[in-house]
Amino acid sequence: MMISGMQLTARECAKVAATTSLAQATAVPAVQRVAGRWQCQRCGQRRFGPLADGRAYCVSCVGMSRVETGSQLWRFPHTPAPLGGPLTWRGTLTPAQARAAQAALASVAAGRDHLFWAVTGAGKTEMLFPLIAQCLGQHQRVAWVTPRIDVVLELAPRLQAAFIGTPVAIGYGGRPWPMRDAPLTVATTHQMLRYYRHFDLMIIDEVDAFPFSQTPMLAYACTQAARGVTVFLSATPPDALRRAARAGRIGSSMLSRRFHGQPLPVPVMRLMKLTRVPDQLPLVAARWLAAQHRAGRVSLLFVPDTRWVVPLSQAVQRLGLRASGVHARDPARLGKVQAFRQGQLDCLVTTTILERGVTIPHCAVLVLAADDRQFDRAALVQMAGRAGRASDSPDDPVWFVAAHFSLAIAQALTEIRGMNRRGWR
Amino acid sequence: MICVMCARPLTTDFTLAALISRAPLRLPTLCVRCEAQFERIDPASACPGCGRQAHPALCGDCQRWAAQGQSLLQHRALFTYNEPMRQFIQLYKGQGDRRRHTAFQHLMPLARRGWALVPVTSEPHHFAARGFDPVLDLFSHLQLSRWLRKADTPLPQAQKDRAARLATPQSFIATLPARPAPHVLLLDDLYTTGRTLYHAQAALRAAGYGGTITSFSLIR
Repeated sequence: MMISGMQLTARECAKVAATTSLAQATAVPAVQRVAGRWQCQRCGQRRFGPLADGRAYCVSCVGMSRVETGSQLWRFPHTPAPLGGPLTWRGTLTPAQARAAQAALASVAAGRDHLFWAVTGAGKTEMLFPLIAQCLGQHQRVAWVTPRIDVVLELAPRLQAAFIGTPVAIGYGGRPWPMRDAPLTVATTHQMLRYYRHFDLMIIDEVDAFPFSQTPMLAYACTQAARGVTVFLSATPPDALRRAARAGRIGSSMLSRRFHGQPLPVPVMRLMKLTRVPDQLPLVAARWLAAQHRAGRVSLLFVPDTRWVVPLSQAVQRLGLRASGVHARDPARLGKVQAFRQGQLDCLVTTTILERGVTIPHCAVLVLAADDRQFDRAALVQMAGRAGRASDSPDDPVWFVAAHFSLAIAQALTEIRGMNRRGWR
Repeated sequence: MICVMCARPLTTDFTLAALISRAPLRLPTLCVRCEAQFERIDPASACPGCGRQAHPALCGDCQRWAAQGQSLLQHRALFTYNEPMRQFIQLYKGQGDRRRHTAFQHLMPLARRGWALVPVTSEPHHFAARGFDPVLDLFSHLQLSRWLRKADTPLPQAQKDRAARLATPQSFIATLPARPAPHVLLLDDLYTTGRTLYHAQAALRAAGYGGTITSFSLIR
């Protein structure tokens, strides 16, 4: 087991003490005074909570082994990766994908960060294969990180299949660590707190997803874990990245067409009162769901509130459809999503947990209470992006059902229409 | 204010009774959604000896304690040790996120006239490692009487099985004030086998305490 490039607290070192020697590690103070205020040297945050014995601890990263004032972080030296295998993926990139991949290679050669701005369903993963292959051939370490465990779990086997001869390390909360010593790492962004200047290529997938977008420590951790170029992937990049790309501070490539070349389904806005929700579906929405079922489509019904999931899935069942509901704390979540994928369910009621990373062919999307504050521009674009993924049904319908119009809805519609327009040029 | 568990904003409405009563107003630091995850023990149907959920008659454990000549502690607990509570204890005691200690204080208005609230304190080397005493902080909203001291033991209770827990030797030493209150309520975070609390009771008796002793914990 190798722990090169890691930074660990004393408690974490004790866990790996049997397999490694502390002699090679450098100790740095875990908390330092910067501009008169304490700063955690692991997560970069400045919020501290008091302990009873006069010390204080960083409340931001306490979930990953506590960092206290006066304690130390042990940083293990970086070592180059064992040589990775070649790209074994035998697919081909579309001309647009190939252009985007070339732009990324050029950015990396020039040593600047790169933004991949690609619509949902454009085939982002495959576009990065040439870049990853190049790094792996040079003893470099590549990390593909994302805020969501679901994305890690879906991505890891795909990457392993594309690089059959290359060991792939997988990391997320609850999985035993240290990870194996591998040239290619797929992990959640939280795991990056445990690394220091270690990865030559850092790929941050779904930069705009919760919790990355709301948690500054994760961006800090990814910056600190990287020793080379960072590539950002998103269908809905945050404004800061868009500005940086527009100003030319970072390289960018944009894909406004899906891999099948068809435009994104544009959501249809339906204004109606939602007074009986969640006990009953609005009549128009119920008819629409039944019509989708008759047309041979499954449907995803997104709701803003966990408490709506059960009553609404019962309401859909009363329509005669096979329906179920999932939310983040649902223990049977993976099984239900699997059943939905396999066509054992006609309709799945879900919170935003399924807004990204799921690809289901012939899927209609209905967002209930689309004006809810929980749904921002990115979430709405992502949810609408679940529809029309298959090339033989690129125009699956999307409905935004709401009592009012909201700014986020307007932004999402503008963005989707803009992407479709750009795709024509 | 934000919830100490889920960090969502807190909205608190006081009841008129709470505003009029002379008891100090205590703002919850736990939101209603998080609180609803924890399972309350109904005191009316709990075991009269140890507060075990839905066991109105004296349970087997308590009969065993009574057979050993212990006078029962008439233990009361607020919550069961369900999965969300296990997670809370893991974050609070395991990872040492001390800020969570206020989570249940608004549900534990335990002060009574003539009662001494005696917390079961942690071992010195646990305190040194954690930087705080989980039990003291859980009840930090109360006026506590720290009559009990605990000596270091080789293994924490949490890492033992049932038989090993029950075989744990006495490690408490009690020092009483000149005129102790007529009733003692022992406070702990978790009641599992009762070993710790019965040792605490025995230590108080050994120091010459003559009043009545009962006990309370957050979790059973």
